[in-house]
Amino acid sequence: MSKSRKSLLAAAAASLLALPAHAQGDPDNGAQVFKKCLACHAVGENAKHKVGPHLNDLFGRTAGGLGDYKYSNAMHEAGENGLVWEDETLHDYLADPRGAVKGTKMAFAGLKKEDELRDVVAYLRTFSSEDAAATGASPVSGQEPEPTPQSDAPDVAATEPAAAQAVAAAGGTATEPGVGLAYGLGRRATEDEVAAWDIDVRPDGMGLPDGSGTVGEGDMLFQEQCASCHGVFGEGAGRWPVLAGGQGTLTDERPEKTIGSFWPYLSTVFDYIRRAMPFGNAHSLTDDEVYALTAYLLYMNDVVADEEFELSKENFSEIELPNAANFIDDDRDSEPHYAAKADPCMRDCKDTPAEIVMRARILDVTPGSVDDDGAGAGAVD
Amino acid sequence: MGKGNGIDRRRLLTAGLAAGGAALAPRAVAGEGDPAILEVQDWTRYLGDGVQARPYGVPSEFEAHVVRRDVEWLTAATESSVNFTPIHELDGIITPNGLCFERHHAGIAEIDPADHRLMINGLVDQPLVFTMEDLKRLPRENRVYFLECAANSGMEWRGSQLNGAQYTHGMVHCVMYTGVPLRTILGEAGIKASGKWVLAEGADASVMTRSIPIEKAVDDCLVAFMMNGEALRPEQGYPLRLVVPGWEGNMWVKWLRRIEVGDLPWHQREETSKYTDLLPNGKARRFTWVMDVKSVITSPSPQMPISHGPGPLVISGLAWSGNGRITRVDVSLDGGRNWRRARIDGPSLPKALHRFYLDIDWDGRDLLLQSRAIDEDGFVQPSKEELRAVRGENSIYHNNGIQTWHVKPDGSSENVEVS
Repeated sequence: MSKSRKSLLAAAAASLLALPAHAQGDPDNGAQVFKKCLACHAVGENAKHKVGPHLNDLFGRTAGGLGDYKYSNAMHEAGENGLVWEDETLHDYLADPRGAVKGTKMAFAGLKKEDELRDVVAYLRTFSSEDAAATGASPVSGQEPEPTPQSDAPDVAATEPAAAQAVAAAGGTATEPGVGLAYGLGRRATEDEVAAWDIDVRPDGMGLPDGSGTVGEGDMLFQEQCASCHGVFGEGAGRWPVLAGGQGTLTDERPEKTIGSFWPYLSTVFDYIRRAMPFGNAHSLTDDEVYALTAYLLYMNDVVADEEFELSKENFSEIELPNAANFIDDDRDSEPHYAAKADPCMRDCKDTPAEIVMRARILDVTPGSVDDDGAGAGAVD
Repeated sequence: MGKGNGIDRRRLLTAGLAAGGAALAPRAVAGEGDPAILEVQDWTRYLGDGVQARPYGVPSEFEAHVVRRDVEWLTAATESSVNFTPIHELDGIITPNGLCFERHHAGIAEIDPADHRLMINGLVDQPLVFTMEDLKRLPRENRVYFLECAANSGMEWRGSQLNGAQYTHGMVHCVMYTGVPLRTILGEAGIKASGKWVLAEGADASVMTRSIPIEKAVDDCLVAFMMNGEALRPEQGYPLRLVVPGWEGNMWVKWLRRIEVGDLPWHQREETSKYTDLLPNGKARRFTWVMDVKSVITSPSPQMPISHGPGPLVISGLAWSGNGRITRVDVSLDGGRNWRRARIDGPSLPKALHRFYLDIDWDGRDLLLQSRAIDEDGFVQPSKEELRAVRGENSIYHNNGIQTWHVKPDGSSENVEVS
């Protein structure tokens, strides 16, 4: 722990004596506990909102009270119902966030240990000017705290920015670039390193490399590199994936899910070929070759009709796949058998005795059974 | 297989069980006395192996039939395929490391931890690279979680097909992970306020990727390097894998090499063309992450015939839910007409397997065994008919319907569906 923190905390400690018993935590320990929160919350000088709001001047603030942070509706309602952050309310919230404010978007499961709760509350209090006003220590405003009689620290250190103090207290050295903010671990990734691994492409085109390729070039490549598994026309050999055709079959008894019939985004095609194809020789194609193969797959799926078509970074995002609009978000919870959440029947739940209507042995596709050479239906991916 | 007891278990299953059952479980011989007692056995007279004969211990030769198995017709190549945990042979809630089912997309990557890196990039204050040594200096946690492939039971949508709990429900395992919260690692890099999603990426030749919302990433995800107290097995992503508790196994990226923070999902192959659930109207659900409440009776089951005849019978099974704890399991002996509460035994941990038992006095007559789990959020495991009524037969994923085993008077069982 840095000397500056000591002086700050000693000053804060004086005011803590007057607080409820459960609030008398150790801010220094609290700085350690707060590392669990650092991914989403910042405190100290220049602290900004991250996944969660910054926590400066938290004490005395109404829940959901920062205008420039987008809280959950639940947090706004809690504030409207009178929730104000103080030692006790913060303690209870952090002990069980989803229990205390039902519907909060904070994903954190909560702190289960009483001393950790006390300590982190005490730590956060050191970043509240309400508290600072009471003690003369104001890390947020940058005002120099008066050295207190309890402090053995040189007051020069107390002028360090609060953020640096917080990090120093946590044992880190974030003032040096390229090391972890809380523990000082890891090193900064170079631009070349990031470029070597970050090859993902999104539907909006983010991540597309420079380059281009034509349907014709793609046809040549496909026959050389892909057709042995996927078939000359993308029809798939054996159980290898079918890539083309199948449009209009999604409501059939046996749907054919291909790039043309099912896949929502072209970026997925490009991204997947570049990261994982050809099977067993990944990362061997040039970006132009990936553009060419993607162009050929569009042609095979009748998304483009022109054999001269050239796909490039420039025109890529203009292309829409036919099934893009047919994906919906997870609504399993609304299914009748889930929505009821009723206590299930225990007695005489069927009018008549249950009868067997289907047997696995009829199909007999279980490995090791008498005739297991037949193939069953279904897939695992 | 089955070398130890001299019986090919698979043959046994198809040839009927009357004789085999007796050979599998010899009774103490009455009258003239049991030679197992009256004769001095070799292992009672002679010395066995000393220490270090087995520096890394393996199960008894008499357990040689307890292995992962695959279904060859399912996939085109073993490097992009799946096998199944022998859940019918196991008990308790922890799966032994060597029996955890495998799902690879480009074979098992064999990585020297000295050459492994984890990169954090994207919408972060500073892109970082961690070595394995770095990661092991961060505060770690121990958590027990089940991992279930979203396609577990996927071959049963059209009806009962595979004869064995290993095949119908064996794409699940449950171990204790040791790892660092993903939240801690992201905290080292600093997530920018615009960061709403992360992309997890593996180092194997499929360079597996999945988009995960930031709320989940900072909630309970772990970056794990140990399972059941020892290093991850290569099949499970050695030296580093992502743990995404309660969510579909495909997201638990193995050989984890990179986490990117972004403002939108990436719509990668495994979350568009795969792991989306086609409905009868042609629409497909996407981002169906949570594994629903589910259970299965593991014994008796087609691969675990009753060998002892009528009398005391232990019905044993597994239950789990991606929502949290299992609060109750009911078992039916008559195909779902009447139910009784089973006994959950052992630890009840959120998003972990639960072991249940129903101890009955079997009268030797036909049974239509079913189990039905309820989780702490009040979700009740549905029947297969209820699922099909909404989802049809082409969803592939998330089949958590109630399983039925027909137990016959000879002690054998079959995978069936009932009215």
